[in-house]
Amino acid sequence: MEVTYQLDFAQELKKCVRCGKCRTSCPVFHELRGESASPRGRLALVKALQTGDLEPSEELADRLYTCLLCKTCAVDCPSGVISDEIFVAAREYLAEALGQPLMQRALLRGFLTRPGLHSSASSLMRLYQKSGAAAVLDKTHLIEHLPEKAEAAARLLPDVAGRPGRKRVREVTPAQGEKKYRVSYFLGCATNLLYPQVAEDTVEVLSRNGCEVVTVDDVKCCGMPHLAYGDVDTARELARENLRALADAGSDYVISDCASCSATLGETYQHLFDPGTPEQARAKELADTVYDVSRFLVEVTGIEPGEHQVEATVTYHDPCHLSRAQKVTEQPREVLRAVPGVEFREMAEADRCCGSAGSFSVMHHDISAKILERKIDNVEATQSEVVATSCPTCTMQLSFGLRERGSKADVVHPVQLLARSYRGK
Amino acid sequence: MAAGTGMVTAAALVTDMLKLLGEERVFHKDVDLKTYTYDSSFVSQINDFTPEVVVMPTSTEEVSRIMRYADEHGVAVTPRGAGSGQTGGSVAVRGGIVMDLSAWNDIVEVDEVNMQVVVRPGVVHADLNNHIASYGLYFPPDPGSSEWATIGGMVANNASGLRAVKYGNTGQYVLGLEVVMPDGQVIRTGGLKSKALKSVSGLNLTGLFLASEGTLGVITEVRLKVWPKPPSRAIVVAYFDRLEDAAQSVLEVFKAGILPSGIEILDDGAIRSVNLFKPQLKLPEVEAAIFFEVNGSKAATADEGRQIEEIAKKRAGSVEMATDPKRMKELWTGRQAIGAASARAKPNAARIFAGEDVCFPMSKVPEALRRIKEIGREHDTMVVIYGHIGDGNMHTAPIIDPLKPEEVEAAQRVAEAIHRLALEIGGATTGEHGVGFVRAAFMEEEHGAALEVMRRIKDCMDPKGIMNPGKIWAGEE
Repeated sequence: MEVTYQLDFAQELKKCVRCGKCRTSCPVFHELRGESASPRGRLALVKALQTGDLEPSEELADRLYTCLLCKTCAVDCPSGVISDEIFVAAREYLAEALGQPLMQRALLRGFLTRPGLHSSASSLMRLYQKSGAAAVLDKTHLIEHLPEKAEAAARLLPDVAGRPGRKRVREVTPAQGEKKYRVSYFLGCATNLLYPQVAEDTVEVLSRNGCEVVTVDDVKCCGMPHLAYGDVDTARELARENLRALADAGSDYVISDCASCSATLGETYQHLFDPGTPEQARAKELADTVYDVSRFLVEVTGIEPGEHQVEATVTYHDPCHLSRAQKVTEQPREVLRAVPGVEFREMAEADRCCGSAGSFSVMHHDISAKILERKIDNVEATQSEVVATSCPTCTMQLSFGLRERGSKADVVHPVQLLARSYRGK
Repeated sequence: MAAGTGMVTAAALVTDMLKLLGEERVFHKDVDLKTYTYDSSFVSQINDFTPEVVVMPTSTEEVSRIMRYADEHGVAVTPRGAGSGQTGGSVAVRGGIVMDLSAWNDIVEVDEVNMQVVVRPGVVHADLNNHIASYGLYFPPDPGSSEWATIGGMVANNASGLRAVKYGNTGQYVLGLEVVMPDGQVIRTGGLKSKALKSVSGLNLTGLFLASEGTLGVITEVRLKVWPKPPSRAIVVAYFDRLEDAAQSVLEVFKAGILPSGIEILDDGAIRSVNLFKPQLKLPEVEAAIFFEVNGSKAATADEGRQIEEIAKKRAGSVEMATDPKRMKELWTGRQAIGAASARAKPNAARIFAGEDVCFPMSKVPEALRRIKEIGREHDTMVVIYGHIGDGNMHTAPIIDPLKPEEVEAAQRVAEAIHRLALEIGGATTGEHGVGFVRAAFMEEEHGAALEVMRRIKDCMDPKGIMNPGKIWAGEE
């Protein structure tokens, strides 16, 4: 075990002096308390794996997968240990050494790489919800007898209604008014299937702010879920395809409304390819053009004010992949403040992970739910009617947490409020 | 001689601990045990100190039951807080049980009128101060590891930190302790019911447990004196082209009758490291910077800050006075982070914790700083210096590539030479981090006949030698 995912384990691990600072901020450690649940503990385990002191095992994998990859430890680390990247690389190594569990493999390699299957899965999900099966299972407590993970997933999923986002927006949406830019909208899987309205609103907001919007049709999953499960080969393949599709679209910018997608396209792709290769050069070129939609509106186009009042008290949750991976924190707040009628209320610990972390909320539902409790406490303390956030899985998690509390607060993307101020509804 | 699991097998020990505490608070799988083999000390990174079992008790009764069992079977027990120490003090160098007390983090009582608090050992220093701030109180000792170090660990090491120059060390605030003795007996020091701020009733058992490093018993509760939180604070940072000038300025501030709440030094490597970790700080990259912190009333803070500014200007190239809370927080947290951040002073290197806590007489600080730099040069090893120059307590960080054996050997020679320097010029081998495993070899030379008395006290309180064996007393038990 030496080099993987462009990362030299020995060189990176030697930086950790084991001071323990990362115990302070790790949301998972805060709940579990044992040292092996701390970033320092996980780094020690990767070191033991690297030196041969420990062999690959399911137990070791469990400790390394019990991590949100929220980057809090990495950003806070005085020694500059890139712990989250080390964990991803170790997962890649373990996935090869142990073989991924069947369900994960089917999900990652099957559904997310093949949009057709993706939609079928979504249809099944809709059927499950539309048929009332969810309510019946819930009422009869039959849901408690489903496999643990399926039960968690069923509880978390939003009410998926209607057509996916891709079918709701045109392939090319013209700019309203003077055309300033031609942008490619990278429509991610979760927005497409779970929050299709966000796709409509993003396109409308971009168009309203002078962009001709190309919703690139043949993009694939950004690859983040694959990376999280150590399937770097598939992630690399997806990166290749997305680099090609986005290059073919020939736009000035690539815009995403999903924090994970923009982080993966803009930050991670460069690390997937060998330095000096044409692919890495393309990934670097792409990185310069990738923008989270709020950042794009604030830094590039400026925000066209809406005509209609959106009377609402709004707070904002920072997704890890936007605040820590891309250091985008002020821009979504600026978008919210630009919406007429919105009263913005800052919540405590706004950038603390909500516990979602993609499929972490399903695979480690109990821990995730505990982490979520603290987030919902902070949300409720603001007494806001709306929670805005820039990530579909954070949206799903926050909605679940608020639903469980009986709260009526809405969870939306910042651009949705801006779109409402344009539409007046 | 107590070692490891004593008279029971490892498997039986695990089974018995599971019976005592249950599955959730007992770790016995390899993947969990491997995360209890270290603290920050370099020695724990290059040795295998894997315990047989880790337990996480959260009541005095549980600790007592574990200790009764350990006493009966001769099993070694190593108490542990956050494992942020730098001496190997909380790792089981002889195997056996590691007792992780960090999850036991209740603040039991805040007595606002009597200005004292009662806490369990796992309470984190910063959490305590955040909690009691709403009462207008604070616990002054301020370790660099404030955000994660536990109060139990601070008491067991008599830790201090960035404000010791004015407020002293942890021990000065400990009014009483609940301790589980090695045989499981529970005692209270400082008086069973006492809330008195002073007491000279009987032998000072509280003092005996300060800096005992878990070798005499398990601290399960701490009664601390806390102080009113000063309403105002300012930080004056002076930047010097010569290290010696920095040290002289400190003496001149004292001579002017000013007692700052903190006086911290950063050498050129430390300044560079902090700038790399927190680029927004933009500290001038000179040979040394001194952070003077003053606190008290607004008027006193402003006046003392101005006086320090004037004194420092005589020798410093530039001086900055910060009163903006945001800037002060940035400066202070930047300083607190140097311990680990100092590795950034050199590309592709790491900081190791070895020979890092010497304390010199104030009069000898300028000489000590010069000689530490010389030692580094002699061994071709970069040494970053930072620390509490206000009380002579210097942290000296060898910055090396730990993957290169020749650099590791050189760093170990540097550590040895720095410890010898402290003893030669009338200092101490450790000002606040403790002896643990790494400094036990210097104890004879440092203490002479007094070491024998310490040994007798240890034998009396822990006759079976089960409490944290292998620490403080080299090669014994």
